[in-house]
Amino acid sequence: MSVISVKNLKKYYQVYQKEPGFWGSIQALFLRKYYNIKAVDGISFEIPEGELVGFIGPNGAGKTTTLKVLSGLLYPTSGEVRVLGLKPFERQKQFQANISLIMGQKNQLWWDLPAWDSFILNKEIYEIDEGIFKKNVAKLSEMLGVEDILKIPVRKLSLGQRMKCELIVALLHSPKVLFLDEPTIGLDVVAQKNMRDFIKEYNEEFRATVILTSHYMGDVKELCKRVIIINEGEILYDGSLVSIVNKFAPYKVIKVDFEKEVDVEKLKEFGEIEKYSGNFVEVRIKKGEVFATATKLLSEFDVVDLNIEDPAIEDIVRDIFNAAK
Amino acid sequence: MKKYWEVFKITWQQLLIYRVNFALWRLRTILQLLLVYFIWWSVFQSQDKVFGYTTASILTYVLVAALMRAVVLSTRVTDMIDSINSGNIVNFLIKPLGFIRYYLTRDIADKLFNIGFYIAEVSLLILLLKPPIIIQTKLPVLIPFFIATLGGLVIYFCINFIVSLTAFWVENSWGPLFLMSVFLESLGGGLFPIDILPKPLFDILMLTPFPYLIYFPAKLYLGSMSYSEIISGFSIIFIWITVLVALMRVSINAGFRHFSAVGN
Ligand SMILES: Nc1ncnc2c1ncn2[C@@H]1O[C@H](COP(=O)(O)OP(=O)(O)O)[C@@H](O)[C@H]1O
Ligand SMILES: [Mg+2]
Repeated sequence: MSVISVKNLKKYYQVYQKEPGFWGSIQALFLRKYYNIKAVDGISFEIPEGELVGFIGPNGAGKTTTLKVLSGLLYPTSGEVRVLGLKPFERQKQFQANISLIMGQKNQLWWDLPAWDSFILNKEIYEIDEGIFKKNVAKLSEMLGVEDILKIPVRKLSLGQRMKCELIVALLHSPKVLFLDEPTIGLDVVAQKNMRDFIKEYNEEFRATVILTSHYMGDVKELCKRVIIINEGEILYDGSLVSIVNKFAPYKVIKVDFEKEVDVEKLKEFGEIEKYSGNFVEVRIKKGEVFATATKLLSEFDVVDLNIEDPAIEDIVRDIFNAAK
Repeated sequence: MKKYWEVFKITWQQLLIYRVNFALWRLRTILQLLLVYFIWWSVFQSQDKVFGYTTASILTYVLVAALMRAVVLSTRVTDMIDSINSGNIVNFLIKPLGFIRYYLTRDIADKLFNIGFYIAEVSLLILLLKPPIIIQTKLPVLIPFFIATLGGLVIYFCINFIVSLTAFWVENSWGPLFLMSVFLESLGGGLFPIDILPKPLFDILMLTPFPYLIYFPAKLYLGSMSYSEIISGFSIIFIWITVLVALMRVSINAGFRHFSAVGN
């Protein structure tokens, strides 16, 4: 049975349009023009226990909205949603006790108090057994390397340290399902890597089901075997990371270093030129023609080095989004 | 139960961290108390009895009104506004935590803190100024006084809760809240006992919830109300509590529903 099951979920926000200025405000009091923003427009997916799924899409794609629906904060406009077999919006205790939502831009730690105090509060809220609490704090803070900052007021911590404490406080009750909304946003490269390593370790160690959203491919590439690509409220792709290449990029990239500078005009016949700088070129070539093209290049020019590669996933995803526009 | 005890402790910790803010707040209430106290004191320099009050009864009224301010009017419910505006309210909605119980706990923590300071301040004031005051010892008076105080507390809690919830719909809830606090303070009897107002106005006011926050309990303490006044007062408290609690629950549901539809 799937831990998360979403069938044809739609979430439309109703907003009203207001003419600018004072008269607009008066007008809006009596006559409001409502219209819908289709934040999520009919998406379906199933996620089995223990899977770590990357949810990617550009800003405004509907990622946060989806996570809010899944965690019971938003009522779906239509469609069916089950998490751990329960309807999130009913907000049953049994549901709340087993999920956690971490949003990169929201915080639950008490700003003026040490993270430790927030931990204790959550221990009571989730009725976590003393022994388990101690074990979890010790384990999580060791995994994240923050043992020595737990007694410092949160406002004095760096963003990276704070995010780590946010992670701990959200995981103390050992949620079976974890929703992470852009957890690496604003972090520096090292902190991003730490965060990613931790998420992976947590997922493996606790067999938690995790959905991680990002508008940034780096997060997902390292972590998730399965990705769901969403744009303008619709799913464009749901499958393994590797087969994105096969599905969306029926081409390879040949990178060639030449001995001497080569005229770009002469290279155009080989394929679509991605990059060119005198004695270096990167060309896109249809999969079936790779061998022939490489042979021809080698025979016609003085080649120092030649590489045949799959296109970068970032580039493919960018193409997908551009095509969808 | 234990979770609310922890909420209580965290609220006190925060008050201690913001001790400068808190000290300023206390300073404000002391100055307010002294101001009202001396105004009435100077009024009584030339007369023995004003509006049916003696020096002792009016000064006692002022001190009890200050107690009501600490017990009834101190609150943390309005923190909710910031929490809704910043979106951090989601932390409540995803946790197994009672929304009303949470804020009630924080309110009680805040009140106890304020009461402690009130006792210290007023003891000092009494020692220094030695005003003629009425020490009430009769249980038949004190028990209704306590019950009325609790009633006032519940009314104030509900009103604040309902006004704070408007943050779900409007962007600036602090405006109405500020306006309301001015009303509550004066119409509630924080500055003067409202029975010195013209009778028709007084009669109308007594039908609103405001006088039951300060005036009614303070007046009960003085032990100078008739049985019929007491009975009608308690009936009105009861009616208002019923109405306000119902309204509060409806508003919470509406607020959550609104939030879950529009997302913020
Ligand atoms: N509370 C809201 N009211 C109206 N529109 C919203 C609200 N929240 C998000 N939206 C809109 O819904 C769309 C999806 O937003 P969101 O789910 O936040 O996207 P993402 O997290 O992928 O960036 C966007 O067009 C956004 O402007
Ligand atoms: Mg988002």
